Amino acid sequence: MRLQLGMKDPNVNGSQRGAVLAAALALPGLLPGIAQAQVTAPNATLVQFKFLYYKDYQESGDRMTVKSPALYLLTPITDDWVFEIGAVYDSMSGASPYYHTTLSGASGKGIEDARTAADITVTKYFANRTSVAVRAAYSIEDDYRSTAGGLTIRHATPDQNTTFTIGGGYSGDEIFPTVGVPTTYYKRTYDAIIGVSQVLSPNDTAQVNFYYAHQSGYLTDPYKAYWGIDNRPTSRDQKALLVRWNHFFESADATLRTSYRYYNDDWDVTANTVTIDWAQTLPDGWVLTPGLRYTTQSAASFYYDPVYDPVLGAPYPPGYLQNPNAFYTADQRLSAFGGITAGLKISKALPQGWLIDGKAEYMEQRADWRLGGEGSPGLETFKAQMYQVGVTRKF
Amino acid sequence: MTKRWMLLLATAAFLCGCESMKVQPWQKGNLAKPEMAFDSDVLETRFADHTYFSKEGASGGAGVGGGGCGCN
Repeated sequence: MRLQLGMKDPNVNGSQRGAVLAAALALPGLLPGIAQAQVTAPNATLVQFKFLYYKDYQESGDRMTVKSPALYLLTPITDDWVFEIGAVYDSMSGASPYYHTTLSGASGKGIEDARTAADITVTKYFANRTSVAVRAAYSIEDDYRSTAGGLTIRHATPDQNTTFTIGGGYSGDEIFPTVGVPTTYYKRTYDAIIGVSQVLSPNDTAQVNFYYAHQSGYLTDPYKAYWGIDNRPTSRDQKALLVRWNHFFESADATLRTSYRYYNDDWDVTANTVTIDWAQTLPDGWVLTPGLRYTTQSAASFYYDPVYDPVLGAPYPPGYLQNPNAFYTADQRLSAFGGITAGLKISKALPQGWLIDGKAEYMEQRADWRLGGEGSPGLETFKAQMYQVGVTRKF
Repeated sequence: MTKRWMLLLATAAFLCGCESMKVQPWQKGNLAKPEMAFDSDVLETRFADHTYFSKEGASGGAGVGGGGCGCN
Protein backbone atom coordinates (compact mmCIF):
# COMPACT_ATOMS: atom_id res chain seq x y z
CA MET A 1 0.00 0.00 0.00
CA ARG A 2 2.73 2.46 1.00
CA LEU A 3 4.53 1.55 -2.14
CA GLN A 4 1.60 2.53 -4.35
CA LEU A 5 1.04 5.82 -2.52
CA GLY A 6 4.66 6.77 -3.06
CA MET A 7 4.60 5.97 -6.74
CA LYS A 8 1.45 7.99 -7.39
CA ASP A 9 2.42 11.11 -5.50
CA PRO A 10 3.73 13.64 -8.05
CA ASN A 11 5.54 15.53 -5.29
CA VAL A 12 7.74 12.61 -4.42
CA ASN A 13 11.06 12.69 -6.24
CA GLY A 14 13.10 9.68 -7.30
CA SER A 15 15.24 9.34 -4.22
CA GLN A 16 12.31 9.73 -1.83
CA ARG A 17 10.42 7.14 -3.81
CA GLY A 18 13.40 4.88 -3.47
CA ALA A 19 13.46 5.40 0.27
CA VAL A 20 9.75 4.62 0.57
CA LEU A 21 10.20 1.52 -1.52
CA ALA A 22 13.18 0.47 0.52
CA ALA A 23 11.19 0.98 3.71
CA ALA A 24 8.36 -1.11 2.30
CA LEU A 25 10.77 -3.84 1.22
CA ALA A 26 12.34 -3.86 4.64
CA LEU A 27 9.04 -4.83 6.24
CA PRO A 28 9.32 -8.26 7.80
CA GLY A 29 8.37 -11.00 5.42
CA LEU A 30 9.00 -9.02 2.25
CA LEU A 31 12.76 -9.31 2.26
CA PRO A 32 14.25 -12.58 3.42
CA GLY A 33 17.29 -10.92 4.93
CA ILE A 34 19.50 -7.89 4.95
CA ALA A 35 21.31 -7.02 1.76
CA GLN A 36 25.04 -7.67 1.84
CA ALA A 37 27.47 -4.93 2.83
CA GLN A 38 24.82 -3.23 4.97
CA VAL A 39 25.04 -2.48 8.65
CA THR A 40 21.44 -2.89 9.80
CA ALA A 41 20.24 -4.60 12.94
CA PRO A 42 18.51 -7.91 12.22
CA ASN A 43 14.86 -7.91 13.24
CA ALA A 44 14.29 -11.65 13.53
CA THR A 45 15.42 -14.33 15.93
CA LEU A 46 17.35 -17.24 14.47
CA VAL A 47 17.92 -20.56 16.18
CA GLN A 48 20.06 -23.21 14.57
CA PHE A 49 21.05 -26.73 15.54
CA LYS A 50 23.53 -28.84 13.60
CA PHE A 51 25.17 -32.16 14.04
CA LEU A 52 28.49 -32.97 12.38
CA TYR A 53 29.93 -36.42 11.95
CA TYR A 54 33.57 -36.32 10.87
CA LYS A 55 36.02 -39.14 10.26
CA ASP A 56 39.49 -39.11 8.81
CA TYR A 57 41.73 -41.95 7.74
CA GLN A 58 44.68 -43.08 5.65
CA GLU A 59 45.56 -46.28 3.81
CA SER A 60 47.08 -47.96 6.86
CA GLY A 61 44.24 -47.19 9.23
CA ASP A 62 41.53 -44.97 10.60
CA ARG A 63 42.50 -41.77 12.36
CA MET A 64 40.08 -39.53 14.24
CA THR A 65 36.31 -39.65 14.46
CA VAL A 66 34.50 -36.56 15.75
CA LYS A 67 30.84 -36.13 16.60
CA SER A 68 29.76 -32.53 17.14
CA PRO A 69 26.33 -31.27 18.07
CA ALA A 70 26.25 -27.46 17.87
CA LEU A 71 23.75 -24.75 18.70
CA TYR A 72 23.52 -21.13 17.62
CA LEU A 73 21.07 -18.43 18.60
CA LEU A 74 20.79 -14.87 17.34
CA THR A 75 18.17 -12.64 18.85
CA PRO A 76 17.51 -8.89 18.86
CA ILE A 77 16.97 -7.78 22.46
CA THR A 78 15.84 -4.32 21.41
CA ASP A 79 15.85 -2.46 18.07
CA ASP A 80 19.56 -1.83 18.31
CA TRP A 81 21.01 -4.51 20.59
CA VAL A 82 21.57 -8.01 19.27
CA PHE A 83 22.64 -11.02 21.24
CA GLU A 84 24.30 -14.16 19.83
CA ILE A 85 25.27 -17.34 21.56
CA GLY A 86 26.97 -20.43 20.22
CA ALA A 87 27.85 -23.75 21.78
CA VAL A 88 29.46 -26.92 20.52
CA TYR A 89 30.42 -30.24 22.03
CA ASP A 90 33.02 -32.30 20.17
CA SER A 91 33.63 -35.89 21.16
CA MET A 92 36.77 -37.23 19.54
CA SER A 93 38.20 -40.71 19.44
CA GLY A 94 40.71 -42.64 17.42
CA ALA A 95 44.36 -42.38 16.54
CA SER A 96 46.57 -39.42 15.78
CA PRO A 97 50.01 -39.60 14.14
CA TYR A 98 53.01 -39.68 16.49
CA TYR A 99 55.20 -38.48 13.66
CA HIS A 100 54.57 -38.19 9.92
CA THR A 101 51.80 -40.69 9.21
CA THR A 102 52.79 -43.25 11.86
CA LEU A 103 49.67 -43.66 13.96
CA SER A 104 49.35 -43.77 17.72
CA GLY A 105 46.78 -46.53 17.29
CA ALA A 106 49.53 -48.78 15.88
CA SER A 107 50.86 -49.27 19.40
CA GLY A 108 47.40 -49.84 20.79
CA LYS A 109 46.95 -46.39 22.33
CA GLY A 110 43.83 -44.63 21.19
CA ILE A 111 42.84 -41.06 21.93
CA GLU A 112 39.64 -40.06 23.69
CA ASP A 113 38.92 -36.42 24.22
CA ALA A 114 35.99 -34.07 24.39
CA ARG A 115 35.80 -30.37 23.80
CA THR A 116 33.08 -28.08 25.06
CA ALA A 117 33.02 -24.57 23.67
CA ALA A 118 30.70 -21.62 24.06
CA ASP A 119 30.73 -18.06 22.86
CA ILE A 120 28.65 -14.94 23.33
CA THR A 121 28.51 -11.90 21.08
CA VAL A 122 26.70 -8.68 21.91
CA THR A 123 26.29 -6.17 19.11
CA LYS A 124 25.10 -2.60 19.42
CA TYR A 125 23.82 -0.90 16.26
CA PHE A 126 24.09 2.87 16.05
CA ALA A 127 21.97 5.22 13.94
CA ASN A 128 24.95 6.21 11.79
CA ARG A 129 25.16 2.72 10.22
CA THR A 130 27.81 1.59 12.66
CA SER A 131 27.84 -1.55 14.74
CA VAL A 132 30.12 -2.56 17.57
CA ALA A 133 30.30 -6.25 18.45
CA VAL A 134 31.98 -7.67 21.52
CA ARG A 135 32.66 -11.38 21.59
CA ALA A 136 33.82 -13.70 24.34
CA ALA A 137 34.62 -17.37 23.81
CA TYR A 138 35.66 -20.20 26.08
CA SER A 139 36.56 -23.79 25.34
CA ILE A 140 37.75 -26.64 27.50
CA GLU A 141 39.22 -30.05 26.72
CA ASP A 142 40.91 -32.69 28.87
CA ASP A 143 44.25 -31.08 28.08
CA TYR A 144 43.49 -27.64 26.69
CA ARG A 145 41.69 -24.49 27.74
CA SER A 146 41.12 -21.42 25.60
CA THR A 147 39.72 -18.06 26.66
CA ALA A 148 39.23 -15.64 23.82
CA GLY A 149 37.63 -12.32 23.07
CA GLY A 150 37.28 -9.84 20.28
CA LEU A 151 35.89 -6.48 19.25
CA THR A 152 34.62 -5.84 15.72
CA ILE A 153 33.42 -2.48 14.42
CA ARG A 154 31.53 -2.17 11.16
CA HIS A 155 30.51 1.00 9.40
CA ALA A 156 28.50 1.43 6.22
CA THR A 157 28.40 4.41 3.88
CA PRO A 158 25.04 6.31 3.68
CA ASP A 159 24.03 4.38 0.54
CA GLN A 160 24.75 1.11 2.40
CA ASN A 161 26.80 -0.09 -0.55
CA THR A 162 30.17 -0.12 1.18
CA THR A 163 30.95 -1.51 4.61
CA PHE A 164 34.23 -1.17 6.42
CA THR A 165 35.22 -3.66 9.09
CA ILE A 166 37.95 -3.39 11.67
CA GLY A 167 38.50 -5.80 14.53
CA GLY A 168 40.94 -7.07 17.08
CA GLY A 169 41.01 -10.22 19.16
CA TYR A 170 42.92 -12.07 21.81
CA SER A 171 43.13 -15.71 22.82
CA GLY A 172 44.87 -17.00 25.91
CA ASP A 173 45.36 -20.75 25.77
CA GLU A 174 46.62 -23.26 28.34
CA ILE A 175 47.88 -26.68 27.41
CA PHE A 176 48.23 -29.42 30.04
CA PRO A 177 49.27 -32.61 28.26
CA THR A 178 48.19 -35.94 29.70
CA VAL A 179 51.64 -37.47 29.04
CA GLY A 180 55.00 -36.84 30.69
CA VAL A 181 55.60 -34.67 33.73
CA PRO A 182 52.43 -32.66 34.58
CA THR A 183 53.01 -29.16 33.25
CA THR A 184 50.92 -26.28 32.01
CA TYR A 185 52.09 -24.46 28.93
CA TYR A 186 50.78 -21.11 27.76
CA LYS A 187 50.07 -19.70 24.35
CA ARG A 188 48.76 -16.27 23.34
CA THR A 189 47.28 -15.06 20.10
CA TYR A 190 46.59 -11.47 19.13
CA ASP A 191 44.79 -11.00 15.86
CA ALA A 192 43.44 -8.15 13.80
CA ILE A 193 41.29 -7.75 10.74
CA ILE A 194 40.57 -4.89 8.42
CA GLY A 195 38.20 -5.27 5.52
CA VAL A 196 35.79 -3.74 3.09
CA SER A 197 32.61 -5.16 1.57
CA GLN A 198 31.24 -3.57 -1.56
CA VAL A 199 27.99 -3.94 -3.48
CA LEU A 200 29.15 -3.87 -7.08
CA SER A 201 25.85 -4.29 -8.87
CA PRO A 202 22.32 -5.49 -8.06
CA ASN A 203 23.75 -9.00 -8.51
CA ASP A 204 27.33 -8.70 -7.27
CA THR A 205 28.88 -8.24 -3.89
CA ALA A 206 32.53 -8.55 -2.95
CA GLN A 207 34.70 -8.44 0.14
CA VAL A 208 38.39 -8.02 0.84
CA ASN A 209 39.88 -8.71 4.29
CA PHE A 210 43.42 -8.37 5.55
CA TYR A 211 44.12 -10.54 8.55
CA TYR A 212 47.10 -10.62 10.85
CA ALA A 213 47.79 -12.83 13.86
CA HIS A 214 50.70 -12.99 16.24
CA GLN A 215 51.07 -16.15 18.30
CA SER A 216 53.56 -16.56 21.09
CA GLY A 217 54.38 -19.10 23.77
CA TYR A 218 54.23 -22.85 23.54
CA LEU A 219 53.37 -23.61 19.92
CA THR A 220 54.79 -27.14 19.90
CA ASP A 221 52.49 -30.16 19.78
CA PRO A 222 53.15 -31.77 23.20
CA TYR A 223 52.08 -35.25 22.07
CA LYS A 224 54.17 -35.19 18.92
CA ALA A 225 57.06 -33.97 21.10
CA TYR A 226 56.55 -36.80 23.58
CA TRP A 227 56.08 -39.67 21.13
CA GLY A 228 58.09 -38.27 18.26
CA ILE A 229 60.17 -35.17 17.57
CA ASP A 230 58.46 -31.79 17.69
CA ASN A 231 60.02 -28.50 18.71
CA ARG A 232 58.62 -25.31 17.21
CA PRO A 233 59.54 -21.65 17.49
CA THR A 234 57.86 -19.74 20.32
CA SER A 235 56.34 -17.17 18.03
CA ARG A 236 54.48 -17.17 14.76
CA ASP A 237 53.31 -14.27 12.60
CA GLN A 238 50.47 -15.08 10.26
CA LYS A 239 49.10 -12.93 7.45
CA ALA A 240 46.14 -13.61 5.24
CA LEU A 241 44.31 -11.85 2.47
CA LEU A 242 40.79 -13.07 1.86
CA VAL A 243 38.80 -12.04 -1.20
CA ARG A 244 35.22 -13.14 -1.67
CA TRP A 245 32.89 -12.51 -4.56
CA ASN A 246 29.26 -13.56 -4.87
CA HIS A 247 27.22 -13.27 -8.04
CA PHE A 248 23.53 -13.93 -8.52
CA PHE A 249 22.47 -15.34 -11.89
CA GLU A 250 18.90 -14.18 -12.50
CA SER A 251 18.38 -16.46 -15.50
CA ALA A 252 19.37 -19.55 -13.52
CA ASP A 253 18.02 -18.36 -10.13
CA ALA A 254 21.35 -19.42 -8.69
CA THR A 255 24.18 -17.87 -6.69
CA LEU A 256 27.84 -18.38 -7.40
CA ARG A 257 30.00 -17.89 -4.29
CA THR A 258 33.75 -17.71 -4.69
CA SER A 259 36.63 -17.02 -2.36
CA TYR A 260 40.37 -16.84 -2.56
CA ARG A 261 42.78 -16.69 0.37
CA TYR A 262 46.46 -16.00 0.28
CA TYR A 263 48.20 -16.99 3.50
CA ASN A 264 51.80 -16.59 4.61
CA ASP A 265 53.60 -16.95 7.92
CA ASP A 266 57.13 -16.65 9.24
CA TRP A 267 57.41 -20.42 9.54
CA ASP A 268 57.56 -20.32 5.72
CA VAL A 269 54.12 -21.77 5.24
CA THR A 270 52.53 -20.14 2.20
CA ALA A 271 49.08 -21.31 1.22
CA ASN A 272 46.65 -20.46 -1.56
CA THR A 273 43.06 -21.54 -1.12
CA VAL A 274 40.07 -21.19 -3.44
CA THR A 275 36.46 -22.14 -2.83
CA ILE A 276 33.56 -22.20 -5.23
CA ASP A 277 29.92 -22.91 -4.40
CA TRP A 278 26.92 -22.95 -6.69
CA ALA A 279 23.66 -22.46 -4.76
CA GLN A 280 20.87 -23.53 -7.10
CA THR A 281 17.35 -22.56 -6.09
CA LEU A 282 14.79 -25.20 -7.01
CA PRO A 283 10.99 -25.22 -6.73
CA ASP A 284 9.23 -25.73 -3.39
CA GLY A 285 11.93 -24.15 -1.23
CA TRP A 286 14.74 -26.53 -2.15
CA VAL A 287 18.30 -25.25 -2.61
CA LEU A 288 21.02 -27.55 -3.90
CA THR A 289 24.61 -26.38 -3.38
CA PRO A 290 27.55 -28.30 -4.80
CA GLY A 291 30.91 -26.93 -3.69
CA LEU A 292 34.62 -27.38 -4.32
CA ARG A 293 37.63 -26.23 -2.34
CA TYR A 294 41.27 -26.46 -3.28
CA THR A 295 44.25 -25.56 -1.15
CA THR A 296 47.97 -25.80 -1.74
CA GLN A 297 50.63 -25.09 0.85
CA SER A 298 54.38 -25.12 1.29
CA ALA A 299 56.04 -26.83 4.26
CA ALA A 300 57.22 -25.08 7.41
CA SER A 301 60.97 -24.40 7.27
CA PHE A 302 61.60 -26.86 10.12
CA TYR A 303 59.46 -29.69 8.78
CA TYR A 304 61.58 -32.76 8.01
CA ASP A 305 60.75 -35.54 5.57
CA PRO A 306 60.36 -39.15 6.80
CA VAL A 307 64.02 -39.95 6.22
CA TYR A 308 65.50 -40.83 9.59
CA ASP A 309 68.89 -40.73 11.25
CA PRO A 310 70.94 -43.75 10.12
CA VAL A 311 72.00 -44.51 13.70
CA LEU A 312 69.02 -43.47 15.82
CA GLY A 313 66.34 -44.51 13.34
CA ALA A 314 62.76 -43.24 13.41
CA PRO A 315 61.54 -40.72 14.42
CA TYR A 316 64.87 -38.88 14.59
CA PRO A 317 65.81 -36.60 11.71
CA PRO A 318 69.30 -37.07 10.23
CA GLY A 319 71.93 -35.32 12.36
CA TYR A 320 69.60 -34.99 15.36
CA LEU A 321 72.34 -35.69 17.92
CA GLN A 322 74.49 -32.86 16.59
CA ASN A 323 71.61 -30.42 16.93
CA PRO A 324 68.96 -31.75 19.35
CA ASN A 325 67.60 -28.30 20.26
CA ALA A 326 66.91 -27.14 16.73
CA PHE A 327 63.36 -26.67 15.49
CA TYR A 328 61.80 -29.82 14.10
CA THR A 329 58.36 -31.02 13.23
CA ALA A 330 57.03 -34.16 11.57
CA ASP A 331 53.47 -32.85 11.58
CA GLN A 332 51.72 -33.64 8.30
CA ARG A 333 49.77 -30.37 8.63
CA LEU A 334 53.04 -28.46 8.28
CA SER A 335 54.22 -30.47 5.27
CA ALA A 336 53.80 -29.41 1.64
CA PHE A 337 50.65 -30.74 0.01
CA GLY A 338 47.53 -29.97 -1.94
CA GLY A 339 44.04 -30.65 -0.66
CA ILE A 340 40.68 -30.95 -2.36
CA THR A 341 37.24 -30.96 -0.77
CA ALA A 342 34.11 -31.74 -2.74
CA GLY A 343 30.73 -31.33 -1.13
CA LEU A 344 27.02 -31.24 -1.74
CA LYS A 345 24.49 -29.44 0.42
CA ILE A 346 20.74 -29.64 0.20
CA SER A 347 18.31 -27.48 2.09
CA LYS A 348 14.58 -27.05 2.17
CA ALA A 349 12.62 -24.10 3.50
CA LEU A 350 9.46 -25.11 5.30
CA PRO A 351 6.49 -22.98 6.42
CA GLN A 352 6.73 -20.73 9.49
CA GLY A 353 10.42 -19.98 9.11
CA TRP A 354 11.75 -23.52 9.40
CA LEU A 355 14.68 -24.70 7.31
CA ILE A 356 16.26 -28.15 7.23
CA ASP A 357 19.52 -29.04 5.56
CA GLY A 358 22.08 -31.77 5.05
CA LYS A 359 25.59 -31.73 3.69
CA ALA A 360 28.14 -34.38 2.72
CA GLU A 361 31.78 -33.66 1.97
CA TYR A 362 34.87 -35.59 1.05
CA MET A 363 38.38 -34.23 1.58
CA GLU A 364 41.72 -35.55 0.46
CA GLN A 365 45.27 -34.25 0.93
CA ARG A 366 48.09 -35.44 -1.30
CA ALA A 367 51.69 -34.31 -1.64
CA ASP A 368 51.51 -34.41 -5.44
CA TRP A 369 48.45 -32.17 -5.52
CA ARG A 370 50.58 -29.26 -4.45
CA LEU A 371 50.92 -26.49 -7.04
CA GLY A 372 53.99 -24.31 -7.42
CA GLY A 373 56.50 -26.75 -5.97
CA GLU A 374 57.15 -30.27 -4.83
CA GLY A 375 54.96 -31.87 -2.21
CA SER A 376 56.51 -33.48 0.86
CA PRO A 377 57.45 -37.08 0.00
CA GLY A 378 56.82 -40.25 1.94
CA LEU A 379 53.47 -39.44 3.57
CA GLU A 380 50.29 -41.40 3.27
CA THR A 381 47.34 -39.71 1.59
CA PHE A 382 45.03 -38.16 4.15
CA LYS A 383 41.30 -38.55 3.65
CA ALA A 384 38.23 -37.34 5.51
CA GLN A 385 34.48 -37.59 5.24
CA MET A 386 32.12 -35.05 6.79
CA TYR A 387 28.37 -35.27 7.14
CA GLN A 388 26.15 -32.68 8.73
CA VAL A 389 22.45 -32.20 9.26
CA GLY A 390 20.80 -29.08 10.54
CA VAL A 391 17.56 -27.44 11.45
CA THR A 392 17.07 -23.69 11.59
CA ARG A 393 14.14 -21.56 12.58
CA LYS A 394 13.71 -17.85 11.96
CA PHE A 395 10.84 -15.96 13.62
CA MET B 1 56.59 -9.03 -3.55
CA THR B 2 56.12 -5.47 -4.86
CA LYS B 3 53.97 -6.82 -7.66
CA ARG B 4 51.82 -8.62 -5.15
CA TRP B 5 51.21 -5.49 -3.07
CA MET B 6 50.41 -3.49 -6.18
CA LEU B 7 47.81 -6.09 -7.08
CA LEU B 8 46.33 -5.84 -3.59
CA LEU B 9 46.17 -2.06 -3.79
CA ALA B 10 44.57 -2.21 -7.22
CA THR B 11 41.94 -4.63 -5.89
CA ALA B 12 41.24 -2.43 -2.87
CA ALA B 13 41.03 0.70 -5.01
CA PHE B 14 38.67 -1.07 -7.36
CA LEU B 15 36.41 -2.14 -4.52
CA CYS B 16 36.36 1.30 -2.92
CA GLY B 17 35.97 3.28 -6.12
CA CYS B 18 32.55 2.12 -7.15
CA GLU B 19 30.76 5.49 -6.87
CA SER B 20 29.67 5.27 -10.48
CA MET B 21 27.84 1.99 -9.98
CA LYS B 22 25.69 2.98 -7.02
CA VAL B 23 23.11 0.34 -6.40
CA GLN B 24 19.85 1.80 -5.14
CA PRO B 25 17.95 0.32 -2.18
CA TRP B 26 15.16 -1.01 -4.36
CA GLN B 27 17.70 -2.89 -6.49
CA LYS B 28 18.86 -4.99 -3.55
CA GLY B 29 16.30 -7.77 -3.64
CA ASN B 30 18.77 -10.30 -5.03
CA LEU B 31 21.54 -9.12 -2.72
CA ALA B 32 19.28 -9.81 0.25
CA LYS B 33 18.87 -13.49 -0.63
CA PRO B 34 20.40 -15.66 2.09
CA GLU B 35 22.55 -17.47 -0.50
CA MET B 36 24.24 -14.15 -1.33
CA ALA B 37 25.60 -13.72 2.20
CA PHE B 38 29.31 -14.33 2.75
CA ASP B 39 28.53 -16.51 5.76
CA SER B 40 24.95 -17.51 5.23
CA ASP B 41 25.04 -20.53 7.52
CA VAL B 42 26.81 -19.78 10.80
CA LEU B 43 27.29 -23.31 12.10
CA GLU B 44 28.30 -24.67 8.71
CA THR B 45 30.98 -21.97 8.50
CA ARG B 46 32.15 -22.78 12.02
CA PHE B 47 32.44 -26.50 11.28
CA ALA B 48 34.44 -25.74 8.15
CA ASP B 49 36.75 -23.25 9.88
CA HIS B 50 37.38 -25.64 12.75
CA THR B 51 38.08 -28.57 10.43
CA TYR B 52 40.57 -26.73 8.22
CA PHE B 53 42.19 -25.02 11.22
CA SER B 54 42.80 -28.52 12.61
CA LYS B 55 44.06 -30.13 9.41
CA GLU B 56 46.05 -27.51 7.52
CA GLY B 57 48.95 -25.16 8.14
CA ALA B 58 47.01 -22.02 7.20
CA SER B 59 44.08 -20.35 8.96
CA GLY B 60 42.31 -17.04 9.49
CA GLY B 61 40.93 -14.31 7.29
CA ALA B 62 37.26 -14.01 8.15
CA GLY B 63 37.15 -12.89 11.81
CA VAL B 64 38.99 -12.33 15.07
CA GLY B 65 39.10 -13.74 18.60
CA GLY B 66 38.16 -17.26 17.59
CA GLY B 67 40.09 -19.10 20.30
CA GLY B 68 42.31 -22.14 19.99
CA CYS B 69 42.01 -25.87 20.42
CA GLY B 70 44.29 -28.80 21.06
CA CYS B 71 43.16 -30.39 17.85
CA ASN B 72 44.62 -33.77 17.08
